[in-house]
Amino acid sequence: MKLELQHLSKRYRERYAVRDVNVTLTPGVYGLLGANGAGKTTLMRMICGVLKPSSGGIRWNGKPIEALGERYYACLGYMPQDFGFYPDFTAHEFMLYMAAVKGLGKREAKTRTENLLHMVNLTEAADRKVRSFSGGMKQRLGIAQAELNDPSILILDEPTAGLDPKERVRLRNIISDFAKEKIVILSTHIVSDVSYIADTILMMKQGQFLLQEPMASVTDVIEGKVWEVLVREEEAAEFTRRFSVVNLHHENGGVRLRIVEENAPREDAYPVAPNLEDLFLYYFGEDAKEEKEPAEAGWEVSL
Amino acid sequence: MKMLVRYEFLKIVRKRSTLVIMTVSLLITAFFFGLPLMQYQTYDRNGVIRGFAGIAHDKAQYEKLSVLLTEEYIADTIREYQKLFENPDNVGYDGNDRFLIGDAYWDFVAPRETLLYLIASNYDAPGENTGLNHLPGMDLAGGAGFYEAREKKLGQTLDTPSRELTENQKEYWRDLSKRTDVPLHYGWHKGWNMILESFELLTFALLAVCIVLAPVFSGEYQAGTDAVILAGKYGRTKLVTAKIFSSYLFGVLAFTLHAAVALGLTLGAFGTGGWNLPLQIEGTAIPYPWTFLQAVLINLGVIYLVLAAMIGLTLFLSANMKSPYAVLAVLVPVIFLPMFLSPNGTAGFYNLTILLLPYRSFMPELGKYISYRLGGIVWDALTTRAVFYAGLTALLAPFAGAGFRRRRS
Repeated sequence: MKLELQHLSKRYRERYAVRDVNVTLTPGVYGLLGANGAGKTTLMRMICGVLKPSSGGIRWNGKPIEALGERYYACLGYMPQDFGFYPDFTAHEFMLYMAAVKGLGKREAKTRTENLLHMVNLTEAADRKVRSFSGGMKQRLGIAQAELNDPSILILDEPTAGLDPKERVRLRNIISDFAKEKIVILSTHIVSDVSYIADTILMMKQGQFLLQEPMASVTDVIEGKVWEVLVREEEAAEFTRRFSVVNLHHENGGVRLRIVEENAPREDAYPVAPNLEDLFLYYFGEDAKEEKEPAEAGWEVSL
Repeated sequence: MKMLVRYEFLKIVRKRSTLVIMTVSLLITAFFFGLPLMQYQTYDRNGVIRGFAGIAHDKAQYEKLSVLLTEEYIADTIREYQKLFENPDNVGYDGNDRFLIGDAYWDFVAPRETLLYLIASNYDAPGENTGLNHLPGMDLAGGAGFYEAREKKLGQTLDTPSRELTENQKEYWRDLSKRTDVPLHYGWHKGWNMILESFELLTFALLAVCIVLAPVFSGEYQAGTDAVILAGKYGRTKLVTAKIFSSYLFGVLAFTLHAAVALGLTLGAFGTGGWNLPLQIEGTAIPYPWTFLQAVLINLGVIYLVLAAMIGLTLFLSANMKSPYAVLAVLVPVIFLPMFLSPNGTAGFYNLTILLLPYRSFMPELGKYISYRLGGIVWDALTTRAVFYAGLTALLAPFAGAGFRRRRS
């Protein structure tokens, strides 16, 4: 099982959304990280065959996906970001409809639908119209439909966006259950979501991969570059302006800052073990800081 | 495939907007076709009789007139009419015309007024309408010459210069007209005639169907569901076919429901009597050798072909436009602009084009001798419309989903 992206690019007029991406994916969970506009969604839509690449190609088990046609789509499960449901369908009907689109037989569709609705804890709500579902229920239903055909390639674009922490944890566990023996690409800009379940991190910036590393060693690159320092409250603003501050915590008489920096920001700063969030800030710098300010729920959750 | 069609059909009918649009358009249709029933009025010597009582009164009168319009019968009727003028007490004069009044009117003219007008108009020159004025002075020595007069009038009509008919076209109409069986059988046919005169009111049903179907593809783009279904195994193949099939299924069923309401109301009120009578009892100049039922069914057939083409066009636009509103911005003018464009004749590019547009194509225009020619081939309006819209359907329906299928922008 091998999915190859070869010199994959997507250009809109003069601007590249994805530029010369090369990667070979084998079974495992891939956390696709990047700030908004990094090209994650464009890349995923190209992998799903929904978007035509400007250049380059995608091969599934050595064959171009265009040549495979339905045989490729039969291996695919896709949950796009913010995709609309059919509000007048019940969850059960929606699943059966998607099963028909995916080419499942009547009996298989029924069995898979019941099992998956049970797995995503929607059995009780199966006969309710989707219009009455909460955001979390819709996301769970979205993941369930992507899994209907037991795909070899499961692509989830921002599956946890807009969910509260409890829903996010629940969804992460569901994805983990589905991920066995598959190529799972999980796109998010909420770092903590991938840190638990990804085997490999793919980090994108301006349409290109900055990093392709196994989760276990992904933070090695910033080993010795993450610091903590206790500063006075009046100094905190100045430090925030000068350095990439991942976290700040008010303590008695001061503020403890977590900073990603090549060198110690002050003599009394001490190095700490890096995590994925630090790495994200290291690569995205100002982009990530802007994202942090609107108080992304996941950003504040410690790793 | 069956499942896909089923769910695509459900997707269409489950939408609240579908329910609202269908309810409104059914009410409009019921109102338009119910209005003539509510407003129907006739007279007897005691005054006006309205609504269903009026219809029942006229129907009873016509039952006595269910006769073959032989030359003898027509001559006798005209003679009887002329005889009434011999008594000055029966005759009124308004400074221009002489006409029957009092008992002569109520006992003889009123019960058969429509028949008398049909007979009288047969002797008028094309484009002329003298009412019953010529009847009192008609020379019946050689018989009524009713069918001979009809032939003569047809010839004069075809020779009218403004019709710009070629010899081929004239021959076409003469041949068609010759096939009418004479003598004509007269009788009650009000319901069928009412339907033939009101077909264009079904345009609202056509528009309602198109509005409901506008989001079939574009709604997927708008809701963002296109990506997930296009990434499905049959997203670009069977699903597209299922969408087209279910759209046609819905369109035909919804339109049939409207047509059933329209025809049901009219025939329910006026009765089905007259279905087997010839069209010529409504106007002797009508060249089509059909009964009322045949004419209604043939025109309905043409209307269904217009519907099929418009559904094809709606789906084609829907697959190529990102919003259902953009689809409607194109469709509404196509359907409704012709309402405001009146033909000023039956010849010339402008008129022949207007008469081929969807709104005008709902009108059978049975007595207007509208014909199209291509080289030596001559087709009447109904045939041309049928061929045109069948061709358009054949062109649009298979490719309606192509925009969606190819979508990888």
